[in-house]
Amino acid sequence: MKTVIEIKNLQKTYTETAVEVKAVNGVSLIFEEGEFTAIVGPSGCGKTTLLNLLGGLDAPTSGQVIIDGIDISTLSSRKIIDFRMKNIGFVFQAYNLIPVLTAKENAEFIMQLQNKSKVERETRIAELFKAIGIEGKEDIRPSRLSGGQQQRVAVARALASKPKFILADEPTANLDSVATSELLDIMRKLNEEENITFIFATHDQRVIDRARRVVYLEDGVVTKDELKE
Amino acid sequence: MITISSVTLAVVLAIFMRSFQEGSYGIMVETAVGKFSGYVQVHQKDYWNDKTIDNGMVVNEQLIKTIKNIDEINGVNLRLESFSLASNKMNTKGTMIMGVEPAKEDAMIGLKNKIVKGEYINANDQSIILGSGLAKYLDIDVGDTLVLLGQGHWGQSAINAYPVKGIVKIPSPVLDKQVIFMPLLLAQSYFSFENGVTSVVVIFEDPDYTEEVSAAINAVIDTTQYQAMTWQKMTPELIQQIEGDKAGGIIMIAILYMIIAFGVFGTVLMMTEERKREFAVMVSIGMQKKKLMLISFYETLMMNLVGIIAGILLTIPIVYYYKVNPITLTGEMAESMEQFGIEAVLPTVLDFNIFLNNTLIIIVITGIAAIYPLFSILKMNVIKSLRG
Ligand SMILES: Nc1ncnc2c1ncn2[C@@H]1O[C@H](COP(=O)(O)OP(=O)(O)O)[C@@H](O)[C@H]1O
Ligand SMILES: [Mg+2]
Repeated sequence: MKTVIEIKNLQKTYTETAVEVKAVNGVSLIFEEGEFTAIVGPSGCGKTTLLNLLGGLDAPTSGQVIIDGIDISTLSSRKIIDFRMKNIGFVFQAYNLIPVLTAKENAEFIMQLQNKSKVERETRIAELFKAIGIEGKEDIRPSRLSGGQQQRVAVARALASKPKFILADEPTANLDSVATSELLDIMRKLNEEENITFIFATHDQRVIDRARRVVYLEDGVVTKDELKE
Repeated sequence: MITISSVTLAVVLAIFMRSFQEGSYGIMVETAVGKFSGYVQVHQKDYWNDKTIDNGMVVNEQLIKTIKNIDEINGVNLRLESFSLASNKMNTKGTMIMGVEPAKEDAMIGLKNKIVKGEYINANDQSIILGSGLAKYLDIDVGDTLVLLGQGHWGQSAINAYPVKGIVKIPSPVLDKQVIFMPLLLAQSYFSFENGVTSVVVIFEDPDYTEEVSAAINAVIDTTQYQAMTWQKMTPELIQQIEGDKAGGIIMIAILYMIIAFGVFGTVLMMTEERKREFAVMVSIGMQKKKLMLISFYETLMMNLVGIIAGILLTIPIVYYYKVNPITLTGEMAESMEQFGIEAVLPTVLDFNIFLNNTLIIIVITGIAAIYPLFSILKMNVIKSLRG
């Protein structure tokens, strides 16, 4: 198995608050290619903080996040943004699609940043929309899509540029059970058939049930790391 | 959309208001009064304080020559003005007699095409023309004879009767009801004041030179005997009104631009706050802040441009409408305007410069406003903004 991310003794302390918060307090983990992993724990245990560190959205107080042999916390902010564009797909709890763009334009967004040709974009988006079951919604704006559909567009957006891994923070929190199970089916399928690495932060039992690895987090510390399959 | 319409509104307001102000009486009075009285007049020294015919002067060839020799000056119009009673049938009225050089006076204030009945006078005519309001009051018509009774030079009595050659419609109702024009020679004989004039109106092209011309004349004439005056000095109350109006206008415009600036900044601020999360998403999925700033700036610029163009297109017909259908003024200001022969209406001017200047100012305001989102993006904390 190939390692995609290795984190070593990662710490993140928030000092702007009245009381110092050690949101992530010495976490070391290795994520490998093709994982379907849930980082699980009660609200406030540090899941989002950990995911932000993994995605280079936030800088750790100490420790390392090594992706492809590079410690991303040493990169300049410019390079980190570029790094994210090339390597990481994000799925957010609130979908966060760009309201003025159509479903297809949202999905294409990163490919456009990457200056991919029109033909390449069209093929990729068509393929993705088919895979995630939202064909025909290409020209519709997010506001006219259901939550489940919007989140699927978000998954398409995250996948479009063929990132090394997908980080998804509570992707099902706003979805009903039908939409949740549909979304999980799609992601599992992509994981199994295309070997795409998914890392979730979640406290949704339905996600936990479908995960192949579950990392339990409590007060910024890993308490259990369970491989289910 | 909000931004576009706020910019559009800004353009409409600014241009509309400026067009009104530029067209406003201040400037109209300035030009019209200057036109009617001449921008500079030369009088006998005491005349302006005590405007009687006894303070008039005898035309002095040497003086006229000296004045005409000054560079800017194209020529002079001689006037002999005084009061008389005019009487026809049972009607009598106090009138202002203006003895003028007919051809020159027409060239200056365009009397000939204001004739509504009869004909204009010639230099050697023994007849008069009078304001249409006066003609109506006296119930007199072209071809009738008007009796005039007044005081001539040095206490001599002036009584005579002259045929009416034409009736002229003066824009100022006040003047229209009291003015009688007659050839200068005739006036001089009526008032028994050979070669006498009360005012030498100095003719030159550019009103901007008024002060210089007046000073130049005073430098060469015998100022113990004569005096050159600018029209501003001749009508100080009016000048005060104009100045006050101009100052008020500047304050109004300043306030207007402030409101515009606040409006534009407000909408940009709102828009930016609203879109912060969107920006954060873009940066988090891999868009460089620089690129985002560029796009955002371009976007704001385009929106402003659309707003400005829409504003201009909207304003042209409005301004044009009020140019053709001016607002009619009433009250004190209106009266004082009419006294000086100006219609008391407030047209707008359709002036390219007003459009250009105000558009430029608004471009500057919106341009500055467009910088705010850039800072906002640059300083953005992606995680905080994502959480929204
Ligand atoms: N920007 C921040 N400033 C201060 N404290 C923060 C900030 N973000 C998160 N925290 C705190 O860090 C802890 C972990 O938060 P978070 O990572 O959001 O947890 P989770 O996603 O598991 O709910 C919480 O106690 C939270 O209040
Ligand atoms: Mg969270």
